[in-house]
Amino acid sequence: MTMKNKLVFWIVTAVLGVSFMYILTSTVVLPVFTKSVLPKVVVHTTEEKDKNAKPAKNADDSAEPSNGTNSKESVDKLIELKKKEFLAQSRLALATEDSNYLVLDLSSKLAIIELKGVVLHEAKIIQLTLSNSIKHHNSEVLTNWASEPFVVKNIEATIPKIVFFEKIAPKDTLEANKMAQEPKIIRQGDVLVVMDFNRNLRLIVSQSELPDPEGLKAITELRESYSKQEVSRSLDAITHLNREPIKPQIEIVVSKSDATILYKSLPLNPRMILKF
Amino acid sequence: MEIEEKPYRLVLSIAKWIIPLVFLIFSILMILNTPDYQETAYQVKGWFGDSSSYEGKSQKNIDKLAQKSRRNTASLESRIDKLKPVKPFIVVNTAENRFSLRNAAGDTIKTGMCSTGKNELLISGTKRIVFKTPKGIFTVRNKQQSRPWIKPDWAFIEDGLPIPSARSSERIDYATLGDYALEIGNGYMLHGTLYQRFLGLPVTHGCVRLGDKDLELIYNTLSKGSKVFIY
Repeated sequence: MTMKNKLVFWIVTAVLGVSFMYILTSTVVLPVFTKSVLPKVVVHTTEEKDKNAKPAKNADDSAEPSNGTNSKESVDKLIELKKKEFLAQSRLALATEDSNYLVLDLSSKLAIIELKGVVLHEAKIIQLTLSNSIKHHNSEVLTNWASEPFVVKNIEATIPKIVFFEKIAPKDTLEANKMAQEPKIIRQGDVLVVMDFNRNLRLIVSQSELPDPEGLKAITELRESYSKQEVSRSLDAITHLNREPIKPQIEIVVSKSDATILYKSLPLNPRMILKF
Repeated sequence: MEIEEKPYRLVLSIAKWIIPLVFLIFSILMILNTPDYQETAYQVKGWFGDSSSYEGKSQKNIDKLAQKSRRNTASLESRIDKLKPVKPFIVVNTAENRFSLRNAAGDTIKTGMCSTGKNELLISGTKRIVFKTPKGIFTVRNKQQSRPWIKPDWAFIEDGLPIPSARSSERIDYATLGDYALEIGNGYMLHGTLYQRFLGLPVTHGCVRLGDKDLELIYNTLSKGSKVFIY
């Protein structure tokens, strides 16, 4: 190797090496190790939210006697109680409104549609996948992160929310009789729904049944469009070091009919409570 | 000697370029698969655990917080319960055209098939008429037996008939609504049907059609003020 070639080699190696380290730092190391993946919410206590709320007289007040030391068990117990409190707080906040909402119960593996606290529909989650950014956070961080209802920022699906048939009114009874026909049976399309909520959460709802070729094409297209978005977000993270590129993700697989119901029956900007 | 060294030197000079090439490939992979690498990094991070903000607090404080949390939860849950129906109610699933009649406690009394809106837009000149079942929470406003149907204009438009005057006897139809009707507001009703074979299909103009036996049970179970949930 000549001197010139050696120089070129070292320059190229150095440039690519530094680029690699920079990309690694900006897309993985910094977001994971210096920032909280689960954006913090200002946790409002029940008293702050509703100062006039009277505590229930029949509440279970039996606290364990204090022994002066703080055991891990009692901290875990407190976090569990806080979890229940935040869940009830979120349910009350949404139940006072006239729209239905989604309750994603990860512990019971159920996706529930509720309105005014009444369960309208329960979908059994056949398969549940949680991203590591959710799985590997401690219970307290997760509890605080999920302490308030999530609000959808963007929703995309392979099926339309509503299908309307247009019909031109007949001119006379003869034409009306010709138009009179058996009800149209709508073919239910294959379902993939991607919901992006606030606090970076992404929920993917997919069907357990194998899609037909047409449905598979639509599902692949939607998944690819999201992969492209990921690449563009990675590139953004490289150019803007302060960006938060991580999206905690929950993917649920339900039956096709449940996936259709979940998507079609929720309002345009659905809200969701996470129970875990 | 020089002849033998040539291929060796060539290999060596090419091999050296593998290092920058690896950097280049990994950089591209990193950009394409950032979420996967982040996920792996989180798994590694998770092995070291995180500390709780409650860990520094005394047992007494923890107990106090726990007690307060229990009280708050009980209070919130009782407020949620107050929002729930106090009378038997019905839930209508428009996607599957099914209903579920429930008692005040929320337990299912009966489930079955129904027919809901056909999601059709009828165009007549400049008029646009939508046939769709509204979603949300409704209240039974009135219950009637053998209620005649006062046909609205769209019923004539759809049949290609001239629209009669508002008080015309042509508008009165004694058969269509069946034996019972429960009004839920804005002209929408739960009622019977002549087309029992279409139960389970979206065929109506917005009302909820039910089979004769189910309708009778619903009529006898629900009262004025009962809630109707449609989703």
